[in-house]
Amino acid sequence: MARRTVTLVGLFILVFVSGCNTTTSNKGEFEVVYSKGNVKGETEKIEERQYTIAIVPKLVNIPYFNAVEEGALEAGEELGVKVIYKGPTVADSTQQIKVIEELIDQKVDVIAVSANDPDKLVPVLKRAQRKDIKVITWDSDTHSDSREFFINMVNPETLGRHLMDTLAWNVDETGEFAIITGSKSAANLNVWLNWIKVQQREYYPNMKLVEVVASDDDPHKAYMLAKDLLAKYPNLKGIIGNSSVGPPAAAQAVKEEGKMGEVAVVGLSSPNPMNEYLKVGAAQVVTLWSPKKLGYLTVALATNLVDGVHPSNQQDVPQVGRIHVIEDTVIMGEPMDFTKENVDQYDF
Amino acid sequence: MTFKWRSFKNYRLMTKLIFTYMLLTVLPMSLIGYVAYSQYTKSIEEQVGEYIPKVLDQANESIDYYLADVKQLPDLLYNSNQVIEVLRKDSYQNKSSLLQDRFIVNSYLTRTYINGEADVLGAFILSKNRLFESSKIPYSGFGEDMLPFGQDLELKGKQSFLLPSQVPLSFKGNPPYILLMRQITDTENRMNLGTMFIAVDLSFMSNVVENLETVNNADLSLLSEEGQMIYHTDSEKIGSMDEQFQKYPEINGSFRTTGEEENRLISISRAGPDGWVLLHSVKLKNLTERTDLVRNATIIVFLVIILLGTLISVILAWTVSRPIHRLTHQMKEVEKGNFEVDVTSNSSDEVGMLAKSFHSMVAKIKDLIRLNYQIKLQQKEAELYALQSQINPHFMYNTLETIGMAVEDGENDTVVDMVSILGRMLRFSISNKEKMVSIDQEVQHMKDYLTIQKIRFEDRIEFTISDPMDTKRFLTPKFILQPIVENCMKHGLDHSHHFKVKILIEIQDQEVHFTVKDNGPGINEDVMSELNKYLQMDPMGRRDSKFGLINVHGRITMMFGEQYGLRIESKGGIGTEVTIRIPLLPIDLLHEGERAN
Repeated sequence: MARRTVTLVGLFILVFVSGCNTTTSNKGEFEVVYSKGNVKGETEKIEERQYTIAIVPKLVNIPYFNAVEEGALEAGEELGVKVIYKGPTVADSTQQIKVIEELIDQKVDVIAVSANDPDKLVPVLKRAQRKDIKVITWDSDTHSDSREFFINMVNPETLGRHLMDTLAWNVDETGEFAIITGSKSAANLNVWLNWIKVQQREYYPNMKLVEVVASDDDPHKAYMLAKDLLAKYPNLKGIIGNSSVGPPAAAQAVKEEGKMGEVAVVGLSSPNPMNEYLKVGAAQVVTLWSPKKLGYLTVALATNLVDGVHPSNQQDVPQVGRIHVIEDTVIMGEPMDFTKENVDQYDF
Repeated sequence: MTFKWRSFKNYRLMTKLIFTYMLLTVLPMSLIGYVAYSQYTKSIEEQVGEYIPKVLDQANESIDYYLADVKQLPDLLYNSNQVIEVLRKDSYQNKSSLLQDRFIVNSYLTRTYINGEADVLGAFILSKNRLFESSKIPYSGFGEDMLPFGQDLELKGKQSFLLPSQVPLSFKGNPPYILLMRQITDTENRMNLGTMFIAVDLSFMSNVVENLETVNNADLSLLSEEGQMIYHTDSEKIGSMDEQFQKYPEINGSFRTTGEEENRLISISRAGPDGWVLLHSVKLKNLTERTDLVRNATIIVFLVIILLGTLISVILAWTVSRPIHRLTHQMKEVEKGNFEVDVTSNSSDEVGMLAKSFHSMVAKIKDLIRLNYQIKLQQKEAELYALQSQINPHFMYNTLETIGMAVEDGENDTVVDMVSILGRMLRFSISNKEKMVSIDQEVQHMKDYLTIQKIRFEDRIEFTISDPMDTKRFLTPKFILQPIVENCMKHGLDHSHHFKVKILIEIQDQEVHFTVKDNGPGINEDVMSELNKYLQMDPMGRRDSKFGLINVHGRITMMFGEQYGLRIESKGGIGTEVTIRIPLLPIDLLHEGERAN
């Protein structure tokens, strides 16, 4: 009897002691020990409204801005934003203001402008800002208080000095040369022009700038100006096209006048219009950046801006690369030279 | 319960004591031990559960940091215009220029990735049906046709990591790797140039997890969003699926399994790049390894204490219950009638005292039994004596002779008297069922005896009996007067011709005094001293009494105590006075006694 009781008591103790090993047998269940908070499911994200980004070039239907449009539309597709590409038919600030006013009425999210005139555009851009439309500039800047930031393609000093250099290489650093610029009011062109002059003064004393003419980005006018220059300055050794319509017009004029090899043509232009001229020797080097990339970058940065993200220095923009930011200016990259050797690689 | 309680109540004392002791020691001890251990274990789990996720987050950060570097690798391609130029080219060329292009790109890949980056196992570019490759160690499975991930894959500029299970690529020695896939975009022309793959050795993971892994043999794994193991400390598991992954709580933190054979504490950090999850899994057993020593030591100490406790409780219960048990056994023996038991106990505790009391009780009972037995024996002897003296052949003979003489003399009245007296005396003697009779019966008997003697001896005897009390209301033992009177007659008639005997019965001081006084010769001193010696002796020692006097004295002292009995006073020549003292016994007592019986 006593023995049985002792056994029972022992059993009871054993059960009790081994209690620490018994567990609830809810298979597959987990007991949270410590949590820093639940992970929110991705489905909780609210479907966002599609942004509308308006890209306003100086003018439409020239190869350079057509390439920008391509890049911008590509970015719109990839980033899922609506891109409106709209600009004046000529590089005129009055027409550009009209376009911008239309866009304000359409209540777009961002207006990105390549300004034909830095001063005249200010009121309309400020009006857009008052209507809660973000304003940025690209290609050509306006006053810094009327836009969030400016997307510059290249460092203007680098570009200006480089343009001068490319001409100097092709004329043995001597002789007269002329510059065909775009609009005399375009801020970016004037800055580059300035750096071209600085570079010439610093390094090339044997060269002489005889005249700067403005084409207002009109290809035909540019062609006429080129012809005039060739006629006016028989000793002319080179022409720098300071805007993208310049070099093709100059090359065409040089080719027609039979002065290939005598007059060097360099400047800013897309490779496609210059392809033939480069190959026959009517032009030696053209310099540019990828306008497609510029269009893409503009849309990408505009999209970020709507999301509240400002560009930062050394930011890696997908499909573009790293960008530099100096104060409120974004610099897309380095200028590229197109020669007859590599011009086939590029398609813009 | 009541039944159980009742049955518990009926358990032996020892059982109860052991049970109670167990309840009082084992229960609280095991409770405290259990609570302390479980709380300790729990706190360790909580500490680790809180600490590990933080470390995992850090590990995730360093993985993220590392992978961010890896993700930069494809950008190095843009550093070479030559390579970009090749990639921009159409593949419709002659063989030698195709091979030249391959040479250019392959050597650039080797220079830049294989020689430049320590963790890169191989770099591959699929572009316009061309494969450019360079690898650190031989590989197989990566061909132009291999990919569902075509060269024109639209990744929209994003990159993604492929796991070995998703691609047939394998390196010699099967090092764990991840394959970074990245679309190469011609940023200038806005064209897709192809896809670049960079296989990165996962050995960097072992550096990341090194510190974590060594703790308590933990498993560390890096899981993809779908639960596939990108990395596991057990390299064989890399690539397999964690089947329970979908069931894990959606938290950053720690939880433990409850349904497994060996439960684990799993810490999870979901903050990794690409939705990767870092999982740290350690067996609770390992976690509490150090505490297990404490636990085992505690259990051993606990068991030892219980063992000791049980031993002590058994001994204690034994020392309490054993004497009681022995006592019970001896009581049973005594109950059976065996008084010769040894109840000696050395202890002076309650049980010892009980044993001593029992011992003295048994001794007393033993004495009482002996006493009672002797009284009975004495009484029987006395009765036998009385009976013998009653039907004394001499007395009968003498009486019958007297009757005969009376018949001869024609004294019919005397004969009638004597016969009836004799008859009455015989009846009194025979009716010896009662040891006690009323005083008047005893006196009547005495009167009868003396009357017969007086008829026989005629004038030689004179007797008076006076009883100034209500003799019917009180009791006396039977046959206490006859031996005295007989004794007087025997001696008195021998020496005196005119023998006088006086009997007085009276109440004095709540006692009944029977006084028999004669005028005999008295008792000489030798006999007197002998008598007194007898009277003062232990009544038990006088079983074979020679004298009727002593027989009577013995019976009375046995029945009523030493203070009662005979007192003899004798004066030479004058006579002897014998006084019998007995307590006052009202007749109701007899009835009560009878009723009680």
